[in-house]
Amino acid sequence: MAQPLFGVPEPIPDPSPPAESPDGVDLTLIQWTLSLTPLERLELLQDWVDGLAELQRGRVEER
Amino acid sequence: MAESRSVKFLGLLRALLRHGVDFLVVGGVAAQLEGAPILTLDLDVLYDKAPENLGRLLGALRELNACYRDPAGRHIEPDIAKLETLRLHLLRTDLGALDVLGTIGSGFTYQDLVGRTVSYALGEVRVHVLELAAVIETKEQANREKDRAVLPVLRQTLRMKTRPSGEKEDEE
Repeated sequence: MAQPLFGVPEPIPDPSPPAESPDGVDLTLIQWTLSLTPLERLELLQDWVDGLAELQRGRVEER
Repeated sequence: MAESRSVKFLGLLRALLRHGVDFLVVGGVAAQLEGAPILTLDLDVLYDKAPENLGRLLGALRELNACYRDPAGRHIEPDIAKLETLRLHLLRTDLGALDVLGTIGSGFTYQDLVGRTVSYALGEVRVHVLELAAVIETKEQANREKDRAVLPVLRQTLRMKTRPSGEKEDEE
């Protein structure tokens, strides 16, 4: 029986940490918000809320 | 009354602090300040029901032109008697939706939770924010569908917060 020239390669472990928890939580988003200061987190929330209000008003321009 | 379409978090906090109100930031904004990426469209605060604080709170609410978000569309303004007796005040203000709470979770008051807070500097203001572990506990106790929906994110954030990291905090 013919033998392969090379053995079956070992699977290469993924060096990057998982982007999602087993229950589907986006870990990258949490890492990002944790990297911010509390003031930056509040400003981020304000941006989200203002962006939603803009969408509700239909004033978001097509890019 | 001019109602803001989107809530202005810092503006609301400044108004409460300007009147010397004793309060804790709780709910979604507390979770966000603690690092959990949670979207919320109002500011929730837990207030001290001490008589002198009720007067200060009412002063701030009057400055903000606060009235209850009444499903029937009636114009009902908060007053001392309501702040003394009712648990929940869901208000619309000139700076957006403000939920002023006498208790949270299974009946926790300001006095119960003031020792479980983190003090954060937000620009020129400094506020007391319910720590994330306590936010999780109160949401578990409230056990509403909207609370259960965010619990996985809050729990995961707490796990990641408690690991050693280069997190930037501005706490006392």
